[in-house]
Amino acid sequence: MWDILIQIFPYAVAYTIPLLITALGGLFSERSGVVNIGLEGLMVIGYFCTAITIMQLQPELGSSAVPIGLLMGFIGGAVFSLLHAFASINLNANQVISGTAINMMAGAITVYLARTITGSGNILIRSGLTRRTIPVLSEIPVIGRLFFTQTYATTWLVLAILLISWFFLYRTAFGLRLRACGEHPAAAAAAGVNVYFMRYIGVMVSGAFAGLGGGTIMVTYSGEFSGSVAGLGFLALASLIFGQWKPFGVLGATFFFGFAITIANVSQVIPEFAVIPPVILRIFPYVVTLLALVIFSKSSQAPKAVGEPYYPGQG
Amino acid sequence: MKRMVSVLVLLIFAAACVFGAGQREADPDTLRVGMVTDAGTIDDKSFNQGTWEGIRQAQQDLGVQTRYLRPSGETEADYVAEIVNLYDAGYRFVVTPGFKFETAIYIIQQRYDDLKVVLLDGEPRSQDYESHVGPNTVAIYYAEHESGFLAGLATALQLKSGAVGFIGGMEIPPVQKFNWGFQQGVDYANSNHGTNVTVSANNVIYQGSFTDVPAGQQIAATMYDRGVKAIFAAAGGVGIGAINEAKSRAASGEEVWIVGVDVDQYEEGVYADGKSIILTSAMKEIGNSAYAMIEAELNGEFPGGSILTFDATNDGIGIPAENPNLSADVERVVFEVLEKMKTGEVAVQDSSAGLIP
Repeated sequence: MWDILIQIFPYAVAYTIPLLITALGGLFSERSGVVNIGLEGLMVIGYFCTAITIMQLQPELGSSAVPIGLLMGFIGGAVFSLLHAFASINLNANQVISGTAINMMAGAITVYLARTITGSGNILIRSGLTRRTIPVLSEIPVIGRLFFTQTYATTWLVLAILLISWFFLYRTAFGLRLRACGEHPAAAAAAGVNVYFMRYIGVMVSGAFAGLGGGTIMVTYSGEFSGSVAGLGFLALASLIFGQWKPFGVLGATFFFGFAITIANVSQVIPEFAVIPPVILRIFPYVVTLLALVIFSKSSQAPKAVGEPYYPGQG
Repeated sequence: MKRMVSVLVLLIFAAACVFGAGQREADPDTLRVGMVTDAGTIDDKSFNQGTWEGIRQAQQDLGVQTRYLRPSGETEADYVAEIVNLYDAGYRFVVTPGFKFETAIYIIQQRYDDLKVVLLDGEPRSQDYESHVGPNTVAIYYAEHESGFLAGLATALQLKSGAVGFIGGMEIPPVQKFNWGFQQGVDYANSNHGTNVTVSANNVIYQGSFTDVPAGQQIAATMYDRGVKAIFAAAGGVGIGAINEAKSRAASGEEVWIVGVDVDQYEEGVYADGKSIILTSAMKEIGNSAYAMIEAELNGEFPGGSILTFDATNDGIGIPAENPNLSADVERVVFEVLEKMKTGEVAVQDSSAGLIP
């Protein structure tokens, strides 16, 4: 069993990382008071921007095209999220509808652009990132084998962003103000916080992180842009709720999903798992989520003002 | 938004057709061959492209006029509308690639009795799924098991020993037949050419979709971890994940292979230094069958009303003519066996009897 765990652990982590960074982005947005149901679409945008950048630059730049591609995914997501920010912050539109619009637009516009630019709806790149084993750290008993073998560079990048985000949200004045805008914007405004600005930051961070998540999919396990991230954005949203809007809660929730889905995927290949019907393994994470949501519904930690437009001067 | 973009694209296409039509339709006796594309573009490296290449070949060799139209959506109504457009423009011969056209062709064949239709990889069906091939329609299927057989044979001969695996998309007949043929090809090499390649039940998997990219990557990775050297991926998007995993392993020096499906996938498997992880591909010669039907029509032998199966005997299946990753000896043996399939000396079963289902 230990051998199997060591074997599939890197794949579970690789599956988890795009989910984690996207859910973390959602956390910034919702903590600032804006529901972001458009994470799925923002991931697709990042996926596309990364793919097209790498495809165009790789013949000349080789492997250094990959970080540039990720950066473009990051920027692309942030820029596209401005639409959501403008509609839901300036125009006080219904945030769920604006997010849904993002999702519908992203899928159509990226496939249209891909066909215009490359002649095909799919964008194929020669190579993305390769898994590496970290020399010294991988020698540590137990955790060395689990955490430091077969890792992608993006995994460490995302974990670093997670730590920085936690510090930023809970240990800086800026983080406190951002969270205040999601709890009681009028009080925050009375204390001199620019609620609009804070919410813009929250939404743009969520766009950038979701874009990075899409880009990570491209350079790690996919290698070809296909116009959809197959519901991972919604899974990230579920992880955000399951993780109770806290950075490390989100880490736990996304890892739970990543691990459970990986087991379901590889179960048919591994005789030890093959005794359990694949359909049971497949529905397991979703059943657990439903149960958890029912159990935690009374003590939900959702930001108080999430989803509510803010009007200057409201009491 | 999506609809608006589609409508715009359609308008541009329509405009291009109208303006481009003038000079070309001078000779009224020339056969006009039209095609309606399935989901995706004309250069999709799959069904659309294969069909169109066959039609273009016929234009060169046989002097027919050709045109393709791309529907604005993927519904029956979209397909019917485009076929009607072709008919109105004087096209009396239409080729449609893919089973998604089944119900549209069912309607069309009742509406026009002077329109010849070729339906690839399916047969006309009513809404109740009842099959009816009209007198001017030909439905074409492919012998996937024979294609899989050749790919399995080539894989076993090239690797000589070790384990190989299969990843399918949905468990539907064309995919299953690829699997069964592949296993028989490996068996054939083992018993006739002294190779020792194994396919175990754990390494024969239907993922259940044609879209789950990460699942494809994870399944392929786990198979490779457990000693599988080559995977036959007949799984659409799931195959994309598998190809990506193989590319990333090959880039770090591991020897792993993928066997492609439907068309020559060599280019999709090219990684950093210009080499490809596609060992060979189990192909359906879609273009050949479109070409053959046009030729038959010109000779007055169009087999309307029948369901045809394209197999080894009429060059309907095969592996690519060039396989840079196969040795010349392996290619020679595979093409010899293909000849034996044509004469019936080598027979491939299209059922799971005695195989891993």
